[in-house]
Amino acid sequence: MSRPLMQHLEVPVPDGEGERYSLRMGPQHPATHGVLRVDLELDGETILACMPQVGYLHRGIEKLAESRTYAQGLILTDRLDYIAAMANNVGYCVAVERLLSISVPLRAKYIRTMVAEMSRICSHLLWLATHALDIGAMTVFLYCFREREILLDLFEELCGARLTFSYPRIGGVRQDVTAGFISELQRFLDIFPSKMEEYETLIDTNRIWLKRTVGVGKVTGEEALALGLTGACLRGSGIDYDIRKHQPYDAYGLVDFEVPLGRDGDIYARYRCRMEELHQSARIIQQCIDQLPPGPIVGPDAPDLVMPAKASPRIAAGATTYGAGLIKLIRDRGPYLAGDIYVATEVPKGELGFYFISDGSSRPYRMHIRSPSFIHIGAMAAIAKGGLVADLIANIGSLDIVLGESDR
Amino acid sequence: MQIQYKPRRGWLGTIFQIEILQGMNLTLKRLFSKPITRQYPDERPQVCAGFRGQHALVRDAATGDSTCVGCMRCVAVCPSRCIQIRTHRDPKAGNRRVIDDYRIEAPRCVYCGFCEEVCPVNAIVLTKVFEYSRFERPSLLFTKEQLLDNWDRFVSQPDSQADGYLNPFWRPRGLAEGDLPAPKRLPVPSEWSGEQQVVGRLWRQHLPPGHV
Repeated sequence: MSRPLMQHLEVPVPDGEGERYSLRMGPQHPATHGVLRVDLELDGETILACMPQVGYLHRGIEKLAESRTYAQGLILTDRLDYIAAMANNVGYCVAVERLLSISVPLRAKYIRTMVAEMSRICSHLLWLATHALDIGAMTVFLYCFREREILLDLFEELCGARLTFSYPRIGGVRQDVTAGFISELQRFLDIFPSKMEEYETLIDTNRIWLKRTVGVGKVTGEEALALGLTGACLRGSGIDYDIRKHQPYDAYGLVDFEVPLGRDGDIYARYRCRMEELHQSARIIQQCIDQLPPGPIVGPDAPDLVMPAKASPRIAAGATTYGAGLIKLIRDRGPYLAGDIYVATEVPKGELGFYFISDGSSRPYRMHIRSPSFIHIGAMAAIAKGGLVADLIANIGSLDIVLGESDR
Repeated sequence: MQIQYKPRRGWLGTIFQIEILQGMNLTLKRLFSKPITRQYPDERPQVCAGFRGQHALVRDAATGDSTCVGCMRCVAVCPSRCIQIRTHRDPKAGNRRVIDDYRIEAPRCVYCGFCEEVCPVNAIVLTKVFEYSRFERPSLLFTKEQLLDNWDRFVSQPDSQADGYLNPFWRPRGLAEGDLPAPKRLPVPSEWSGEQQVVGRLWRQHLPPGHV
């Protein structure tokens, strides 16, 4: 018997015949979705204690942001949740805009909502693909990546990158959408429901899938709240909490959608919630296409990257017009108010919060990221305890974690 | 909204494994349709305009040199601080700045495209070239000559349209002309310049109160 990994935990000694031993799962395990290590204390195949270890992908993003201006900090958020970078970008921009009181034109709000929901579809498709692959359904994996590829191509057409978008900017977006992009997106939305049916045909009533998911990894509503779960993990337990609905940002207050709620709080309920969210995301994108208003894509007081010519009278007068703000941002002469703000947005994984402390300069004094994956990993110990090792794999997949966001 | 659980299957479905047969039927149908896999090295991918790939300095056809004026805006805006410019003043040409060297550390670059957006003379560009990985790190530290060579190699590609090349980050789509410095007011189609935007068919009905 090896040295126990977790002496500090009070692990009950089992009564049965089984041998108690320690196991380190990961960080190179394919089912841990990145570089997560889980220290397990096992009795046979039953988990007595489970301690996730994070930090293998730590890059010091919060610290890096302190030496970047608000405009430059945007690129760091690409590397948080690299599966849904667009949602992170939008969350960062919304937070900075509230901190600096910058207005966003309506067209930019609609475009941002559209791309954030496209990002949600990307993320949920990748979640479904890998989650199904962990449990053993290979076909769904390939089918989901087929549709995700269409969206990545669309993103490339829009902003020139497939994963690290940096597409929104503080006070708007960087590029306007084109008619070609909109028609391609419309074509995707037209075929998407039939593709959803394919996934559901493959796994929804499949008996292997049901055996692995129904009743496994149960979390009641109170437990989920106590563990700090957000997103589909919380809604799968029947708690109606969605920031898009309850504290609308961007154009979410102007579009019509529903928040799917589960009942049992098991893996199957979370799976059904996310599948329903895919439908709702497609619905939001459709409404954004239909309601897309004309107008500018960058607000008048946006600190922008494109600078006017040096002799511009607007800068000479010191007015906070377009372009003038950037010089302030770059040259450390921000007239911004000192203070702090916490702004949460709903990203595919859950509630992503940015907490800024501003000392009035053009750089944040402190940026803290409340990343849903980190908190979900923390909840894993409570959820997996008493289950089987195979169910831990299903639980990791169901919690939908991304280590880039967790370790930051 | 409460999610819908699928109904329980009956005893017939349990015996004959209907749901597994349905899944098998779906995959069997895929067997006879066209494959969607792109055979990458043999089949070239279509790279979109404005793809943020390998760096290049635009070679001016008139002078044969870069158009960079050494304003240092790209250095100031670069989030990963991978651009270095060395300049000197030239007293013969009205004391204007002349660049001696322009270096980019490609391994540090995050390909955000901020540099090409702030450049007032459209001198730097991220090209569509994406295959330039090397085994040695020093060969990815581009000097000015290498960056100009990158441009030559890019425009010599068959589909690059060397004359009318226009990067979407040189003149961002949808920005009003008045917000741009003069060299960035390049002639573009009306959809690009923001005069003729794509709008939704229902936008008038869904304007929020107070919006003009």
